[in-house]
Amino acid sequence: MITFLELYWPVVVPTVLALLGIYLLLPRARNYPPLWGGLAAGLALLLVGTWLIRTEGIWVESLLFYSFAGIAILAGGMMITQNRPVHAALSFALVVLSTCGLFLLQAAPFLMAATIIVYAGAIVVTFLFVIMLAQQAGYSSADHRSREPFLASVAGTVLLGALLCLLQRAHTSSVEGEVVDFLKERLKIVLAAAQAKTWDKVLAALGDDEKLFKELKAAGRARTDAELKGILKGEEKMLTEPQPLPRDTKLTASTREAFQSAVDRAEVRLVELRAEKKTEAALQELREHFERVHHTGVRLQLALHGTLFPSQDLKLPDYSGTPPNRVPPPVDATGRPHMPAENVAALGRSLFTTYFLAVELAGTLLLVATIGAIAIAARRKEELK
Amino acid sequence: MTPESLHNYLIVGAILFALGMIGFLTRRNMILMFLSVEMMLQGVALNLVAFARFRGNLEGQAFVLFLIAVAACEAAVALVLFLMLYRSRRTLDVSIWQDLREPDQEPIIDEEPLPPPPPEEPLPRLTPAGREPYHRGETASTRF
Repeated sequence: MITFLELYWPVVVPTVLALLGIYLLLPRARNYPPLWGGLAAGLALLLVGTWLIRTEGIWVESLLFYSFAGIAILAGGMMITQNRPVHAALSFALVVLSTCGLFLLQAAPFLMAATIIVYAGAIVVTFLFVIMLAQQAGYSSADHRSREPFLASVAGTVLLGALLCLLQRAHTSSVEGEVVDFLKERLKIVLAAAQAKTWDKVLAALGDDEKLFKELKAAGRARTDAELKGILKGEEKMLTEPQPLPRDTKLTASTREAFQSAVDRAEVRLVELRAEKKTEAALQELREHFERVHHTGVRLQLALHGTLFPSQDLKLPDYSGTPPNRVPPPVDATGRPHMPAENVAALGRSLFTTYFLAVELAGTLLLVATIGAIAIAARRKEELK
Repeated sequence: MTPESLHNYLIVGAILFALGMIGFLTRRNMILMFLSVEMMLQGVALNLVAFARFRGNLEGQAFVLFLIAVAACEAAVALVLFLMLYRSRRTLDVSIWQDLREPDQEPIIDEEPLPPPPPEEPLPRLTPAGREPYHRGETASTRF
């Protein structure tokens, strides 16, 4: 239990504060003064923003992200704790608007417009009308009481804590720091060697191949910067010290093994083939070995980042963009994959090729829902009598 | 998108989802329960769009489109059901419908009474506007 707190205290503290804040703010027959609950919840939000969210790069984007995300979460908190239903519905409209701002930041302009029109435009306005027509004068127990405030808040914050711990763990994965970049740089050299055409070019691309193989093996084993430096210097005791980081997942462990065996085989064959006569077949075999090293290395790199990707043998269509098993997606200068500027056209192409059946089913669902709604709501003659 | 940015968006999506869940379990107004469910759907939509950006793929965005369509259907049917329930008992409180509970479960009874409604403020008295009509025997020359 104590190690859990040591690992995840940046998650536990804001979650407990949020629990306290929401429990104090939930509507009751006699409300607590909203100052304490508001302070606790606001402090929890601030702590999440400083401890859990890391932004770097373009400062305008970070500022926009913080504003939209902060407004979304504040409006969400206001929505579930408001006494008056009209205020709660308007807070929900604010949540939808902020979420649409976040959509816009992620290259989804059509979704931003569609969500504002459908959600904030149609659904919220319809429900506002119903609330206004069903209002009662004075206090009503539908709005000014809550069912099980303590248990519900505990359940919600336990769920939130579990989700945030999982995200924290997946993000830090089993390595930290510069190990993945180190591996990436070395893999570029291996790729250049795998694509070279002649012996001389291969050996030139490899450079100092003893050092390269030693660095590849160190990157395959290290989990932090300190471990990496220690292994490169030759200090084996780095590996026997107790690890404060979470353990490798099975996927990461198996990709590590595959990478290590590919590197060992490539090293051994390089030494052997260099001694033989430099034939075409030997060159081809060597290039295949390096290709194997690069392939397993890239899979290890992705596993270290904590991503899940489907098997390489599937032929997935690329109507919607880079297929998920193409490893890795091509990135631009800021490190992001290219998204089509004509968002609507590309979405249309995706919907009518890959998801055609889903479109038809959604249309059928809409039709059935319309008919059902009309059938249920129709006033029957017996009721009018 | 770097894994750090993806991580940030996933955190926001998780928080929205959890807040929606607390709202759904807590509120008694049927419409506010439904709006909390919609907030959970917004959190999920944010997650999907973040992953679409991370992978350079539009599949996440197509999924969100279907999510919006299904949410609209769900809103229509839910509204009709709320309307029927309101017609029976004249209130949107979901605790009224307690007859469907388990046989060994105790009913929820509100013990603490609600405070009395605030007194109605009297309507304001406005100064009369417009011209005073002519009184008996008054003409334009005698009027001020």
